Parts: sequence; structure tokens; C-alpha cells
Amino acid sequence: MTSSSGAAPARPRVLLCECAGTLKNIDFERLEQHVCVHADVTRGDHWCSRVGQAQLLELMEAGDGRQLVFAGCSPDFAARRFQKLMARGLRLEIADIREGCGWVHGDDVAAVTAKAARIIDSSIAYPDAPADTVSYAERRNTVVVIGGGVAGTQAAAELAQMGHHVELVERRAFLGGRAARIGTVFPTNDCGQCLPTTDAQAGTRKCFHRNVAIDHPDLAIHRRSTVETVSGHPGDFQVSLRTLPNMVTDACVNCGTCETVCEADSSEPGKKAIFSEFYDGRVIRTIDLETCTFCGKCAEECPVEAIDFSQSPRRTTVHAGAILTATGCEPAPEKYFDYLGYGHDGVVTQVELAEMLDDWAAQASLGRMPVEELVMVQCAGSRDQRHLPHCSRLCCMIALKHAIRLKTLFPEMKVTICYLEMRTAGVGYENWFLDARRAGVEFLRGTPPEVQFDSHGRPVVEVEDVTAARKRVLRPDLVVLSTGMVPAIDTEKLTQTLTIDRDQDGFVEILDRKNRATETSAEGVFVCGSAAGPKALIEVNTEASAVASEIHNFLTSAGRRGTAASQVDAAQCVGCDVCSTMCPFGAITLVDRPGSTPRPDEVKDDGKLAVIDAQSCRACGICAANCPEVAIAHNLSDDALFGRVAVMTEGVEKPVVGFYCKECAGAAIGLSGQRRDRYPENVRLIELPCLGRVSALHIVEAARLGAAGVFLAGCAEGRCQYRSGDTSAREQMQIAGEVLAASGTPLPLELWHLCAVDRLSVGRRIRLFAAKADGELLSLETLEREMELIGAAAGAACGGGEACGRGR
Amino acid sequence: MAVAADTDAYPQAVIDEFKLLADECSICYQCGTCTSSCPSGRELYRGPRRLVRLILAGEIEAVLKSDDLWRCTECGTCTEVCRMDIDVAAVLSRLRKIEREHGGAISCPERTAADVAAARLRRHPRIDNMQFGVAMMAKGHFPKDKVGAAETGIKIAKQMLPRRRKRPAGEAGPASEGVATLPFYAGCALPQDHELHALVHEVAAGFGVRLDEAADAGCCGHPSRGAVASHYASAERVYTACPACDASLEEAGVEAVPLWDALTARAGRSPAMALRAAAPAFVPYVGCLADRDAALAALGEAAEQAGVTMEVDYPTLHNGCCGALGGMYRGATKAGARLLEFAAEKHAPVVTTCVLCRDNLHSAARELKIDVPVHFWPEFFRAEEHVSEERTDD
Repeated sequence: MTSSSGAAPARPRVLLCECAGTLKNIDFERLEQHVCVHADVTRGDHWCSRVGQAQLLELMEAGDGRQLVFAGCSPDFAARRFQKLMARGLRLEIADIREGCGWVHGDDVAAVTAKAARIIDSSIAYPDAPADTVSYAERRNTVVVIGGGVAGTQAAAELAQMGHHVELVERRAFLGGRAARIGTVFPTNDCGQCLPTTDAQAGTRKCFHRNVAIDHPDLAIHRRSTVETVSGHPGDFQVSLRTLPNMVTDACVNCGTCETVCEADSSEPGKKAIFSEFYDGRVIRTIDLETCTFCGKCAEECPVEAIDFSQSPRRTTVHAGAILTATGCEPAPEKYFDYLGYGHDGVVTQVELAEMLDDWAAQASLGRMPVEELVMVQCAGSRDQRHLPHCSRLCCMIALKHAIRLKTLFPEMKVTICYLEMRTAGVGYENWFLDARRAGVEFLRGTPPEVQFDSHGRPVVEVEDVTAARKRVLRPDLVVLSTGMVPAIDTEKLTQTLTIDRDQDGFVEILDRKNRATETSAEGVFVCGSAAGPKALIEVNTEASAVASEIHNFLTSAGRRGTAASQVDAAQCVGCDVCSTMCPFGAITLVDRPGSTPRPDEVKDDGKLAVIDAQSCRACGICAANCPEVAIAHNLSDDALFGRVAVMTEGVEKPVVGFYCKECAGAAIGLSGQRRDRYPENVRLIELPCLGRVSALHIVEAARLGAAGVFLAGCAEGRCQYRSGDTSAREQMQIAGEVLAASGTPLPLELWHLCAVDRLSVGRRIRLFAAKADGELLSLETLEREMELIGAAAGAACGGGEACGRGR
Repeated sequence: MAVAADTDAYPQAVIDEFKLLADECSICYQCGTCTSSCPSGRELYRGPRRLVRLILAGEIEAVLKSDDLWRCTECGTCTEVCRMDIDVAAVLSRLRKIEREHGGAISCPERTAADVAAARLRRHPRIDNMQFGVAMMAKGHFPKDKVGAAETGIKIAKQMLPRRRKRPAGEAGPASEGVATLPFYAGCALPQDHELHALVHEVAAGFGVRLDEAADAGCCGHPSRGAVASHYASAERVYTACPACDASLEEAGVEAVPLWDALTARAGRSPAMALRAAAPAFVPYVGCLADRDAALAALGEAAEQAGVTMEVDYPTLHNGCCGALGGMYRGATKAGARLLEFAAEKHAPVVTTCVLCRDNLHSAARELKIDVPVHFWPEFFRAEEHVSEERTDD
């Protein structure tokens, strides 16, 4: 890129920073003499001072197009110091001679100065690629939201309010999902049909049928619809929908005549094949196409001729920038809990109890008590390796809600909850547990293996009271099973259509369990609510709002700049599938090689060619590192990487080379440098955008240049931002190890997982590795000393020399 | 409890084994499902859950000195129901092994019963209930509480010891004991299988025994127990065809003896009578927790008299409870599979002392597609034909 030849007019400027005299082990006179051979050097006491920054501003405004290299603190530190100037367009190439050199080395001035010179040379010769490529093209302003429950509807309403067009796809005829269908919900003990409003009035909420946010002009609702296929790429998806006809038109006045003549039952409990739901209101009535016999009686009787059997299914295709999965969860099927006697009289689920409670309330008002003794069994089929291993999170609260309701209606009823653990962690939840105990609900720690029945068919629950360490035999009139939740029907199929991952329990897998709760493994496809695991309404509401702003950010980030995407050199690509299988983002596809492209000699005309989609590529470099033909160019080219290794190791007798990822590992190493945790000068560090960029070739090249050992420092285990950078690096390290062993020059190779908390120990790691690479026998005393230093690391880790910056 | 003092007292091998056990059990929720499912000694037994907790707490002494170790019948139900797929029955089995090798401090009827059976089985794979009972008495165990197998063992010994006299070689015993009428309680399952029911009568007749049956024999958990008790008010004891009946009648205050024990003993006493077996070898299946050791002993005695081999693999001695106590088939158990595979390997039929065991194991064999015949005691054993025609009053 930049030539050091004097003939070129663009001689780089190097700004040498002495960091206010804290770099005493660097001889700046000598350093300047070395650098000024191929660059103009300007020295400064500390460039981040007001005077220094003013000087920088002048240089920037002069704008002579020359490369500016700042030799001083680490890129992270410099970026903060020069934040304002950088925001105004200052572009500095940073040569870290402070945290990466002076602060971490001893008093051997000649050696430390030599290393600083190498660092500056490397920065001049092989600068980082500019991050000024437009990496996100236009994105469609439409969002397809799959699922019209609380999560999907609220997210859809908020997105419409933000100015996006929304296509809301609901499998059923009615919006509202599971929450609207159940009776009262915890922790508020009212109905589950409200949504927060999106209007200006803070704190207001309204029912599904009254909430005008749903009737937004930019919110199109596709009822009785499912997603058939999805194609395209992030920002521009084509989603094809299949819509079943409703058969009942808007003319319906909800008189109910049809229901009185209908002879078929719906697959939904307690309903006829033509039925209504009270909570949506936009569509009054529908026909269950699964069970309808199409006898036509309802159509004959309908006084307003609102029933139209001539309607047929239709397909539509919508174009969308983003897709939201909000398909929710549903009660676990019988097979997970039939071992507890389900199917026999006297055993029901909490869902069924909820349906019975309305009738029981009526009985209570007549002074009748339907059952005398009731036992609830928690974790029925849940947290069980043989059934559902996960915790469904809602069942404890549902049991408490029902138990309190029962004790309120029937104070004389004996209610026992057999539990494994009561999980009541939520705002206000603990009070429910307290209220239940106060109400006289018995809590029995222990879960039965089965429910037996006596000769009268009455349930017998034999269970160990674990806290009392003795067995109890309960003879309730009714056993209520607190069963778990599973992903909604067809979640598996939908995730395959959307090419997103599922977790071990079958729910949609979120991208990152700590930071990315609403993103999926596919870019542009989002998730919220119980589709990603059972959740209470408060969490569902929170996630719906979160995902709406997440999608808004995604759709409006078009035109954002970053480093350039990787590119395939057609003249070298042989069309194998290594890159396309390795790419963590599915950005690489193999296409039929166009006739006009150059090709390697061995490739025939009908060969394949790898093509990288610049929109999906995140420039991690994993493909470039793994390409067996070295046919992929990353913005940090192989030439630059080889060059950095060569420059950094030049003139060092037994260098130790460390490749590190600039993210978490970079944070650990940079912070360790700020603590001035020392290691030998022969350790030469090379920064990478991701550890996945390193290939076996780079490691072997380091060995060829005389390296005594190579370590790779990546991010914490399983936390690579590019998902598989560390695994790719591990494979490459293994290959390099085999190659080196086969050539009779085995080398110590190590891969570390680091994050910012490792700032306390990474210095020691480097020291120990350097000693190992040096062949130094690690004595017990050395190790003990190192351990002692680590122990004392709370303050500072250095030996306490004059330059020691204790307390910094 | 002083954990340190505990561990000091045990050799490193024991401490290491406990560490291994603790590792395997570390995922235990302490949900109590295992103890809830355990059918052994409902009143006394505190169950596997507590033992697992003690393992996790490092309370070696408390574990090894616990009577509970020996109340386990290794029926395998706890393993079947465990949420976390811990092989609880195997954990208890290993604890007993440790106790046998390194403990020895504990003395309880259950342990003695298990010890005697195990020791005899180690010497030769045939045991007879007589000597078992004698050994029990020699150890001075006359427990007042009801503890299943151990008590039955003693009861049998007490009942049979005075009649058992060593006959000097050559001295002829009574040619025949004639026909005896024994009060017989058929239980719930046998009368439903008419063919088998008739066979029991026929085989008993072969031994010179007429069975007097109560008309309203019901299930062990059935209220008809009272009726049975009144029907046999004058009888010294009632004979049964099912160990669960046996235990339940005992609970209701009626002394019960397995019919097979009586028939075996009868053949043993009479030189003119001999047991005949349908095959040269068999594998015993005594899944039932109610009477395991005694029933095994009776089968061993029968094997010896018939001159056939009882093939016993130690783990299958305590093979699985088929779930018969509830009277219904609940699917093949891991322990059942282990037993059937062993029988298939030995090319021997399985012989049970209980019709429910037979039916359930039969279903398991079918489900597992293991081709092994499963016989009820009277389907496998009968008296040799040359019964003397001489009749005397009993």
C-alpha cells in the first residue's frame, strides 16, 4: 500500500509521543533516527494535550493526503483520547509503543527501543484497511411479523408507529394468541388481553379489540395465514404466504343463528365449527375448516347472508426488509405427562382447571364445594431428562394463582402443592407465594413418580415429603398437573423455512444469551416472546418493544460504513465448498462459473465458483484463512500479514509470536499493558480483526522466520463475535502443528480464550509461554513467584520498580 | 456430624468410591421421586433420596451404617423414575458392596438376610430355605417389627425346623404323608386364568395336597382380606401363590406361607416323592419386593431336589420388580431386560413364584423381542408320578 521509497511524494508523517515521560525505557533520539529514514517525524511530549491536539487539527486540516502514523498508546486508548478529532475525520494509523512495548518491558533500553522501531515500521508498511466501504445497501421498509399473539401484535403496532410497513401473519382467525384465551393472568390478576397503547399517553393500555394501534394504516393483517417459503437476503426477503378463507364476511352482525344450527364441533374445546371469539372484534366469526362438514345450513339460516362458501385459499408474496418470529409456545402434549395418570378421571392439567374454575366460581356462590381435596403436581414432565428437560418458568406462578383462587372460593378445600422448587423470581411474584402460604395452601417438597387409583377410581398420590424425610399418601379428589410448555406447532418447519437455529428444547435460538436476546442465527430474522422459550406477559411485552427498536435500527442502518467484504479471486478459485461451509453467516454460495471468468488451469468449464455476498459478509476472514487455494482476499491481506510478521520478528533472536483478536483478547492485552504487567521484549504481537483470520500458513511463516513459539489469543470460549473464529483458529493451529512436527521442527503452540477480566492474568500467561518457548525450565520458584504476583494483582502486578505506576 | 472424623475412619478406596458416587449423583435435584416410587418397607424405609443426599454431604459413616441400604430390594423402580437418569439402584448396590468389603459395623435383619443369601450363592448357586432359616436363627434374629424378607425367612425356619430331622442313611421315612388339605388363598390374578388355576390344583394334587379355596379371594389390597381371615379362622396358616398376597395377609394378621415352600418341603420329607423339573436348568425371577430372599431360597431348594441347575447371575438375583404389586404391566424395565438377556444367553427358561411376575415378564419379553419362555412354578415343577397309594391321615 504505502511505499517507503523516497521517490514517492507521499512520505508518511510519524507523530512520536513520549507519553509525558512515562516511556523511560525507550530512547527517543535513536527511535527518531531510525524512523526518519523513511518518514517525517514530529516528536511530542504528549500528543493528547491541548497543544498536541491543536497541532493535530492543523495537520488534519492541511490535508496533504499523507499517511499519519501515531506512535504512542494503544489503539483503544488513542481512540478515546482523539475521539473528537476522529469524529471530524482524522484518520490515524496507530503504532502502539506504550501498552504494547514501553510499559510492558524492562530496562533494556536498546532492546525496547528496537522493538518500538519495529512496531512503527510495521504500521507504516502495513496499515489497517480503511473502514469506509458502504457495507449495508438499501433495506426495504417492510417487516413481516409471524404470530399475532401479544408479542407479535405489540411489536407490529410499535413498528407501524415508528413508520415501517408491517405485514402481520396469524395462523388463526383471531389476534390475541394464548394470553387472550386464558382467564386471569399473574401477577396482576386481571385478563390477559391488554396491550400497551402506542399513543402519546404514557401508561395506558387497551384490550385487543379496543386498541386502535392495531388498526394502523401501515399494519396489514393476514389472518388464517402461514409462511410457505422465504427467499432473498437480509434487507430484501421475499416471503410467500398461504391464506385460508374465513368463509364469514364482514356483513356478520354476530346474531349467533349459525351456531344454533351447526352440528359439527370445532377442534377447539367447547365450540361449534362456526364460532366467534370475544377478544379480537375485527373478525367476528369464523369457520373451523378442519371439522366443518360444509352442510350449508348456517349459510341458509344466516339473516344477513354473511356466510360465503365460495371463498378459496390464496397465495400472496410480500417483500420485506426484516422478519420477526413471534410464534409463541403452547402447552406440552399428553405424552410428556401421561405417566402421571393423565387420561384417567380425576387428573387434569392446570389449563383444564382454569376452564373449570369459572364454573366452580358459580358453584361457590351457591355454597357448593366441587372437591374437598386437591393436589397439584409441579414439574409434571418438566425438568426431566426423560421428558422436557427445560423449566417452563410459568407453571409455579400458574399453580399459585389457581391455589389462591381456590382457597378464596373454598376456604375449606384442602389444597396441596407437590413441588420440586418454587420459582417465583419476578416483580411481585414472591408476594403470591406468601399469599398462598397465608391462605393455607400446603407446600409439600417432593414429586410423585406416578398417580395410582384405588378401587373406587379415586387418585392416590404416594410421595416423599422430602423436608420431613417421610412418605405421605394423599387421597385427593382431583390431581392437577402443572405441565410445561413446548414450542408452538410447526416451529420446526418454520425455523427450517427461515434457516434459523433452534435450541436444545426446540425453541428459536437467540443469537446471544447475554446481549442479543431478540436476534436469531440469521441476519435480518428476529424473535421475541415465548417463541424463544416460555415467558410471562411482562417479559413478552418488554421483548416486543425491544425487538421493535432492534428492527428499526436494522432497517435504518442502510448505508452504514465498515471494512470491505472479502472477495474471491476467480482465477484461483477451484470451486470446492470449504469457504461456503466455513462461513458463519452463509454469505458464500457456489454458483456455476460464468464462461467469461478467468479460471485456474485445472478447472473445467462446468466448474463452480464461490461468490461472496457483500451484504452478508462481515469480513471476519475465516474463509480467507481456510481457503486451500488462498483464493480469497480479506481486507487484511495475506501479504500484509506475512509482512507484519516479517517486520516484527526481524532482528530478534528467538521471537515469540502472538496473534490476537482485537476484540476481547485485545481488551485483555491492552488493559494488562495499562497495568504494566511485564513480559519479555522478544514477544511480538500481531493484531487481527478476528482470530479466525489466522491460517496455518501464517503460523508456519512465523516458524520459518525463527519463532520459538506461537500463541493465538481469541475471545472467551464460545463467545467469538463471528461465532466460529476460535474453532477455525484451533483447526489451523493443529494443521500448523502437524506440518511443523512432520518437518522436524515442532514448536510450542497454544490457543487462549481471553476476555477483559483476564487482564489480571494474561501478562503471566505471556511470561510463562515465553519461558516455555525459550526452553527455560520452569522452576517451582518461578511458578510460585508468578502465582504470588497474580495474588497481589489486585493493586498492580509489576515488581515495584521506579517506573511502576501503582494505582494507575 | 463430623465429616472429617468419618472419613478418617475409612480406607482411601472407600473415600475414592464415595467421591465417584458423589460425582455421579451431583446432578440430583433431591426431588424425592425415587423414594416416592420405592415399594420397599413403606413404614420403615427412608428411601434412596436420603442416601443420595448423605453421599453428596460426604457422610460416609451415616451411609454405611444405615439400615436403609439393606431394605433396598434392587427392584430398579427408582432408576426407572429418576428425572435425571441417575442409576439409583446401582448406586445403592455399590454402597452395599462397599459396606460388605469395608464396613461390617452394622447389624440388622435385612443385612443378615441379604448376606446369607449372597454368601450361599457365592459358594454354589443353589440355596435351600431350610438352611437359610437356620442361619437366620443362628444369628439370633427374631425381630419384632415386620421387615419383609428377613421375617419371612425366620418364620419359615421356625415353622419347619422341628419337622426336619436328619434321616440316617438307609432308614426309610414314612412312605407317604397321605393327602393333606391346605387352606389356599388364590389371590386376584390366578383365578382369572382358569387354565393356570386348574393346573395349580392338579400339580398340588400330585404332591398329595388338596387345596381348600376361599370363594371370594381378592387382591392383596382388597377389602376381602377380612372375609378371608374369617373364612380361615380355624386354620393355623394360609397358603398362597403370590408373595404380595403373602405379605398383605401377614399385615392383616393372617399367617401366610407360599404354597411352593410347602410343596417342596413335602417332597423333601417323603422318600417316595420327588420333584421333577421341565428343563435341566432355569433362571429364577423373584422380582417381588415382598418376599424375595425367601422365595429365592425356596426355588433353590426345589432346584436341588429336582437335580437341576438354578442359573443365577448376581445382579439378577435382585432383578427387577415387574411392577406386579400394582398388578399391571408398565412396560419393560431395564432390570427386566437384563434378566431376560441373561436367560437367553443361558438358554434357560425363567421360573417365577408369582403369576403376576410371570405375566408381566412375559409381556416384557414380547416387548423386548427376547425369545425366552417364562414359567410359573407349577408349570415347571411337579411331583414325580410314583406317589404311593397308601393313605394315612395327616
